[in-house]
Amino acid sequence: MTETNPILDKAPDTDSDAGPDGAFLRTRGVSKSFHGRPVLKEADFRIGSGEIAVLIGKSGSGKSTLLRVIAGLEEPDAGDIDLAGETVVHDGEYQDAWKDLRGQIGMIFQSYTLWPHMNVLDNLTIAPRLTLGESKGELLERAEQALTEVGMARHLRSRCTQLSGGERQRVAIARALMMRPRLLLCDEITSALDPPVAAEVLGVLTKLKEEEGIACGIVTHDMAFASKAADRICFFEDGLIKEDVPPEQAFNDPQTPGLRAFIDAVRF
Amino acid sequence: MNSVTLAYSFDWSVVGPALPTLLDGLWLTLKISTIVIVASAVLGFPLAVARMSKIEVIRWPAQLYIEVFRCTPLLVQLLWVFYALPALLGVDLPGELSIIIALTAHLTAFMSETYRAGMQSVPVEQIEAAQMLRMNRVQILRHIIVPQAFRQQIPTILSLNVSMFKDTSLVSALGLADLTFQGNILSSQTYRPMEIFTLVALLYFAIAFPATLFTSYIERRLLTSGSRGAPPPASGLRGTLARIRPGQRPPSLANPSLKSLLKPEGV
Repeated sequence: MTETNPILDKAPDTDSDAGPDGAFLRTRGVSKSFHGRPVLKEADFRIGSGEIAVLIGKSGSGKSTLLRVIAGLEEPDAGDIDLAGETVVHDGEYQDAWKDLRGQIGMIFQSYTLWPHMNVLDNLTIAPRLTLGESKGELLERAEQALTEVGMARHLRSRCTQLSGGERQRVAIARALMMRPRLLLCDEITSALDPPVAAEVLGVLTKLKEEEGIACGIVTHDMAFASKAADRICFFEDGLIKEDVPPEQAFNDPQTPGLRAFIDAVRF
Repeated sequence: MNSVTLAYSFDWSVVGPALPTLLDGLWLTLKISTIVIVASAVLGFPLAVARMSKIEVIRWPAQLYIEVFRCTPLLVQLLWVFYALPALLGVDLPGELSIIIALTAHLTAFMSETYRAGMQSVPVEQIEAAQMLRMNRVQILRHIIVPQAFRQQIPTILSLNVSMFKDTSLVSALGLADLTFQGNILSSQTYRPMEIFTLVALLYFAIAFPATLFTSYIERRLLTSGSRGAPPPASGLRGTLARIRPGQRPPSLANPSLKSLLKPEGV
């Protein structure tokens, strides 16, 4: 019997989430410019369910822009985006399926985006209460489960301002989980954290990938994590995805001069 | 030690008989202030939203209104609404209503800017996080932006309101029997302006000073809660009272164990 996921309230079912090629998310030729300056150029990218794709590259290379386009925070200029086998963006235009499927995407940001005027419980429950119409009792139970998942169960009633940076990011992950995402996008979420705290946060993501089958797209400059947790490394340069390879290959046998130079620069 | 001899000889016997009249004036001052403050608090919000609108035909008139009332003297605004507006509209406005309209129009401009500053101080990442959790614009405004903006701006809002309470004294120039107007009349009747206006000042102070203390207290509470992003200094009335004496620190800070609280979070 398949065990029900307490947070997602459903069994992880990677096959049904995936498109014909097994990818939960796929972008084809996605481009984005800001004030006439191309930042993302015809990006072909994919993440499968239960897979962590780590996006690396210099600042301004288009990594975060791709995540923001996938999340719907930036409108693409061109290209297609498929989510769970449905085309949600076609030739830069949002399709009807986007409204139904956008809820499957969760995003966690670099800066701590917990709402400081609410306690942890309210941070976790306000969005599902307003948008999913769930009862308070049900949400309390789910919030406890989500916080347990990220190792923050004892902070249910804590004020966000009392939490450390790592704790806030773990609560932010729990908050995203409350919306039952199948794809989690993380934009440099550990850049402001000490290495041990960053390892804790990234450990949570690895656990979610393995136990919940959540697809993760992570922008990070933490190469130690990238080498350990990533299933694939996507190297960005000048708005282009120059390499999309397993981490062993990215770190030991980079094919492009750009990735080679990048790896050499961050290796110590 | 040489004693200082004042050229003026105070006669405080005029104070007792003058007090009931002055309290009548104070009551009118408080009534006008309350109406103006409440109305401006409400009207300032839609004006702030209009001022931030991306639609130019909404934003520009809002901006023009705010700048007109921010960049002209309050007394001129009072005189204009009192004398010119009824003539312009061809209606007969009661004096008290004209004054309330003028003061409300003035304070609304400042309140809206305060609201706007508060709303724009909410980090965009917090709004994007709410968008990612599928909250719509109204929900984001209601649950994320406005509560934080209001908390952020409470001290400024309270200060504006205290200023408005004092600025109501300008209405005496238009013949409304507020506290200043009554003081003026009494000083003419008793030939004791020094005593009367000292009492008038004390009455204003008796209302405004607790309000400013309360403002400082609220500000400290907000800092302590960390919801305004600053390190938490000492809070409470004791700390507030210590703070109003220049060069003094709140007594509780003398305790070295509490000094660590002044360090930024995470340091």
